[in-house]
Amino acid sequence: MSDHIDGPRQIGDPAVDITDLLAFTSPENPARTVLAVNVFPTCGVDAIFSNAINHSIVVRRAKVAGIGEATKFETADPEIRFSCRFEALERGAVDRKPVQRGIFTFPDGQTLRFLAGNEKGASTPDGAFRVYAGMRSDPFILAWLIPAGLKKFQNLLFNDNVLSIVVEFDTQRVLDPGKGSLFAVIAETIPIPRPGALVGHEPPRMDWVGRPENTNMRLNNPRLTGADDIRDLWNQQTPFAIDEKFRPLFLQRMKDSLAEWDMRDGKQDWTPSALAVNASMFVDDFLLMDVAKPMTDTSHLEIERSTINGKAYQTGGGRTVDSDVIDILMTWIVNRDREFLEGGTTKATKPGTKTFPYLASPNLDLQTVVETIDVGAAPDKVWELIGQFGSNWHPLIAEIRLTGTGLGQLRTIETVDGKQIIERLEAIDNAGRFYRYTNVSGLSVANYTGMLSVKPNGVGSSVEWRAQFLPNGQATIAVKTIVSTLFKVGLDSLKSRF
Amino acid sequence: MTEAAVLDCECFQTTDGEIAITNLNSARLRSWNRFYQDPQRAGAAETVLEHEQLTAQFAGDLSALGRLEAFGEQLGRLDAFSSRTMMIQAQIASALHRFSDARHYLAQASLGGAPSADVMRVLLNVDQACGSHLEEVLDERRRIVAKSGRFEDRVALGALLADVGEFNDADEIYRQALREYRDVSPFPVAWVCFQLGMLWGELVPEPQLARAEHWYRKAVVGLPCYVRARVHLAEICSATGRAREAEATLRPALASGDPEVSWRLADVLHAEGSVGEAASHLEAARSRFEELLDKHLLAFADHGAEFYIGSGGDPSRALELAEINLKNRPTLRAFEQTYTIALGAGETDVANEVSVRATKCWGNAPAFQLSSFVQGSLETGKGAAA
Repeated sequence: MSDHIDGPRQIGDPAVDITDLLAFTSPENPARTVLAVNVFPTCGVDAIFSNAINHSIVVRRAKVAGIGEATKFETADPEIRFSCRFEALERGAVDRKPVQRGIFTFPDGQTLRFLAGNEKGASTPDGAFRVYAGMRSDPFILAWLIPAGLKKFQNLLFNDNVLSIVVEFDTQRVLDPGKGSLFAVIAETIPIPRPGALVGHEPPRMDWVGRPENTNMRLNNPRLTGADDIRDLWNQQTPFAIDEKFRPLFLQRMKDSLAEWDMRDGKQDWTPSALAVNASMFVDDFLLMDVAKPMTDTSHLEIERSTINGKAYQTGGGRTVDSDVIDILMTWIVNRDREFLEGGTTKATKPGTKTFPYLASPNLDLQTVVETIDVGAAPDKVWELIGQFGSNWHPLIAEIRLTGTGLGQLRTIETVDGKQIIERLEAIDNAGRFYRYTNVSGLSVANYTGMLSVKPNGVGSSVEWRAQFLPNGQATIAVKTIVSTLFKVGLDSLKSRF
Repeated sequence: MTEAAVLDCECFQTTDGEIAITNLNSARLRSWNRFYQDPQRAGAAETVLEHEQLTAQFAGDLSALGRLEAFGEQLGRLDAFSSRTMMIQAQIASALHRFSDARHYLAQASLGGAPSADVMRVLLNVDQACGSHLEEVLDERRRIVAKSGRFEDRVALGALLADVGEFNDADEIYRQALREYRDVSPFPVAWVCFQLGMLWGELVPEPQLARAEHWYRKAVVGLPCYVRARVHLAEICSATGRAREAEATLRPALASGDPEVSWRLADVLHAEGSVGEAASHLEAARSRFEELLDKHLLAFADHGAEFYIGSGGDPSRALELAEINLKNRPTLRAFEQTYTIALGAGETDVANEVSVRATKCWGNAPAFQLSSFVQGSLETGKGAAA
């Protein structure tokens, strides 16, 4: 995941954990630039920003200081810093949820107080800056099983949400691209110092991110056996100024990791010298964007890739909401753009939007339906009846047809009232008397997973039927009632059989 | 600098407790969703375990223990014999004080190829909880702290030092953990503050209530829903003649359903003369204790014993529970509790027998010299039949 949960320390407070940094031209107004940082991977629908953290996006001017095997990007002071901190919750009326406010501080010193979760965001009086902070659908796509080599998979972040901080600003006024239009961007989370607080040490940096996946895929490549986890050490480095004492360590780890990535398709596409320059480029971790050139869904890393290939870059690089950054990155580090590597999907849970705040609205919580019943028969006896994926034991089912065998087989169910439901077998354990299946069609749901299990209960058995799903096209209560009724009627019918 | 100021120096800004609890709950629900979507996914089950453990410890939500138990059952159905499942089952069993089950699962996990460091980590917790091999555990804890310096390892070492009577060393280790804490989550900070409160309020032979109160209060300020800290803070308020303050400390925790809250509130109200309300809270405590003992006997046996020898007013039930706890985890503290309760229940023969067993098990430990078996005999001239 793009720095999602990228170090053991984030377990402390997941709200400090940066998942992604985005930089792109405003879809609403090409004269404006948007920067966004997401925190709190896989947060639930009630998640709130930490009030103990300063969230910053820092921009510095950058220049190409060398190309080809001398590739080097240099950054310069002064920094252009956007900072955002949040307050403790405010009590609303008794029947209202508490609200959270935050304060943005902009590079020109202006500050702006805003309400978290307000879809319209807030703007400074001069219109130069506009901000939003709140929960959004995670735009990230990770459709590979990274530790397994090059195994495609569904998007592992499907239906996830994150907390997003979005700032849009007047490019000309804030960045003055006439002095140079190439910029380096990072995001960081730092505890807020308080008088009398943090005695004995400076506020540590909790997390920071430049390009995606510097930690989870590159520095912590899971296929480098025996390698220490150095992600926390990396996260505590100062962006734009990696400690020279640790630089050799990071550089060697990056080389080892990139060499392993290069060979994942069985072909060596990187010469040792090219790989070394690539590693050095990645250790200088910042997201590059050229605000004078187009930033598109495919322009991510193009500045770095072209420069290492000895060519002038053509795009604005950056990273849009819909960038399929993992596929772009893997194509580059596995085969140096010889052949595009496409994961199991190229679509996030929801695409970005063309209107502010550009990240899609959050995903709903999965709904759960659980029904259980105790029967007097032994578990094996009960499982014999209901444990076959294609067995028709349910009074509301007229007919079941199976397609295929084993895992992945489909059952087409005709209900007594003429509806058709198609389900796929995902896992079965006859010894454990359990199977899991997903819904393909026939119910107004998305992301439906059902589970049927039988366990011993005294001299008899306990049968549990459980499902989780997102309502899709019908009211939640209606869908839950349909599923619950289906389960209840089925389980109740077992009483008369045993 | 006053002691209070010195102590204050060691605490700092953390995420607001209310925000942290909301986030924990939201992450917990999400982790269950992810587990059900793909139970075999790396980390999915472990995350559920971690979130439920945090919820049980800090959110005042005792239903988390039931969820943990159910989680163990589901995991057993999904992936019964993998070493990963065995490791999680061991941690669940340990959290529910089913220590012999935990040992069994750890042995299975080890046979199944679980990383030995992971097995050792949980086994140390089990040994420490049961008072087994404490010298070896202490050596290992020190070694781990020297190597890792991790916060949770320091706290575990502090707790063990407190168990063996090395109170000043425990205090120093706890403070060091606070000084070197580098996160903003309020949970670990509240945890150490609570441990320091316990150390100075309950474990030392001569309790320093003001010092303990300071730490309990810090735990509650950082994490208002930390029920255990509220209960202990209220006890100190009550013991020092501040019944109103004790009541105000306990009332916000009533909704947690923790029987200790109802029990302590009943005591406070009774002392204030609100006999009717006190009786209803006492009944609520009794009923809730029995409900919890029915579901999680080993996890609540010692708490139940304290209740019944106190306001619960059933010394024989107290002794029964104390003996169950002692059998499950024969720590010096469990011996002391059983001995005291046996005396309180008028069971002198049982008390003497417990004293003999305690001396046999713990007589050579330095902490034994600070125990009620020795101290009691010095004070009363009677003492245990050791």
